[in-house]
Amino acid sequence: MTFEQSMDRLEEIVALLDGDELDLARALALFQEGIEHLRLAGEELERADAQVRLLVEEADGGFTLMEQDG
Amino acid sequence: MSRRRPSDGVSDGLSLDLFGAEPAAPARREAPRARAEPSSPAPAAASPEFTIPPLTAAPEPHEFPGSSAASAVGISTLTTTAREVLEGAFMPLWVRGEVSDFKKHRNGHWYFSLRDESAQVRCVVWARDQRNIPAAPDDGTQVSALGQVTVYVARGDLQLTVKAMEAAGDGLWRKALELARQSLERDGLLASERKRRLPRFPRRVAVVTSPSGAALHDIISVARRRWPAVELVIVPAKVQGEGAPEEICAALEMVGRWKDADVVIVGRGGGAREDLWAFNDERVARAVASCPIPTISAVGHEVDFTLCDLVADLRAATPSAAAEAAVPVHADTVAKVRRLSVELRGAIGRRIAFGEEERRRVARSLARGGERLLERRNARARQLAGRLNALSPLATLARGYAVARSEDGSRTLSSVEDFSEGGSFSLLVRDGSVDATVSRVKPGGTDNGPAQVDGPETVDGLVR
Repeated sequence: MTFEQSMDRLEEIVALLDGDELDLARALALFQEGIEHLRLAGEELERADAQVRLLVEEADGGFTLMEQDG
Repeated sequence: MSRRRPSDGVSDGLSLDLFGAEPAAPARREAPRARAEPSSPAPAAASPEFTIPPLTAAPEPHEFPGSSAASAVGISTLTTTAREVLEGAFMPLWVRGEVSDFKKHRNGHWYFSLRDESAQVRCVVWARDQRNIPAAPDDGTQVSALGQVTVYVARGDLQLTVKAMEAAGDGLWRKALELARQSLERDGLLASERKRRLPRFPRRVAVVTSPSGAALHDIISVARRRWPAVELVIVPAKVQGEGAPEEICAALEMVGRWKDADVVIVGRGGGAREDLWAFNDERVARAVASCPIPTISAVGHEVDFTLCDLVADLRAATPSAAAEAAVPVHADTVAKVRRLSVELRGAIGRRIAFGEEERRRVARSLARGGERLLERRNARARQLAGRLNALSPLATLARGYAVARSEDGSRTLSSVEDFSEGGSFSLLVRDGSVDATVSRVKPGGTDNGPAQVDGPETVDGLVR
């Protein structure tokens, strides 16, 4: 689950809970799921700074990311 | 000084007699001003050095080929020699005129005439030279052409072998652009419904550009300022000059094979139109269009759109703008997550507080009978409306939920704080109430869902 997907799902859950059609058990299950997405999102927001890297294609078709200055 | 040997077997001696290397040299030095007047003799013939004896044995001077009917030369000799003289006399030069009779021969070469009010000259562009010319000119186009004056030996025609061409008002560039644009449009690559949504929170951003360019510097500094944890991956490519379109295409294909980027920025900083031309290359546009990863085009500071801009999922005016479009601001995202957290808790609270479904059902029945009731007994109607909210928790109880209340029924118990071990409380259920005792209180983390009371699961005062 990417950060993007977590954020999309969180927004969806909030919209569903604000709607009229859910029974309570379903609402509670969505709430629990939302809490888990909040936790994942918090982790992503605390990720360390990244280096700029260079994409290099190997002879075997694999890829390497080379560290760069800058 | 080596000259091409005439093809009809005429001896070196003959060639030297007529247009020897020495006499030809002064004419070449003055090439641009040379005039081939039909009535005057060849420049060599006027040279005082003409009488210098040839290097090899040759006819007597007064008997040089063509000087008498007996020594008449072949037509090939004439036209070939004329070609050599002209090619030696003229440097390649720019000429201007109007294109007419343009033909693309199936051998790949272009043939046409250049003309003004009173004269014309046949022109050819060899297939291999056409890559220097943006597009084939149309008849009637005013052009400047860089060419070598020569003679088309087989016909004895004066001919200009064109190596480069420009039209007034960038006409050929515009034509080339328009032709490529039409081709992309025919293939549906410009359709707005093709545009993909960019990821809102990309983790990896690929950047196809020159590793030494200002564009890369701008993209890195803007992206890192906005979200320092975003990974920038450079895929280097030459962005101008010979081979640039091929390198940009190859880099985009590499990003496509890699597949691990969330979005790709392709571009370069501003420059002259020729410098940006690689981004108007149809191959580059097609490579952008077929990239499996959403694309942002960022070419210079130009007002004009490039083809690359037209096919990309997003066109950014500058590389900095591309980085802004690709990468969200970290602090804004933190705020957004906080807001979602508040909304999530608010929504579940509201959902639990009201038995919405039941309430709406009553509201509907009230509305049906409402008008009549209002006519007859307004006071009764108000009373019914006032009961709506009161009905709501009862409907929830009917579905199997219970409300925990203090022993005297005065407070709803919604938090572990409201309970104490060994304490008594009352559970309101569908058809009555139950006296209960707390055996254990377990406070839960607020991020891990509702707090737990031993036994039934409670949320904001409701127990299941």
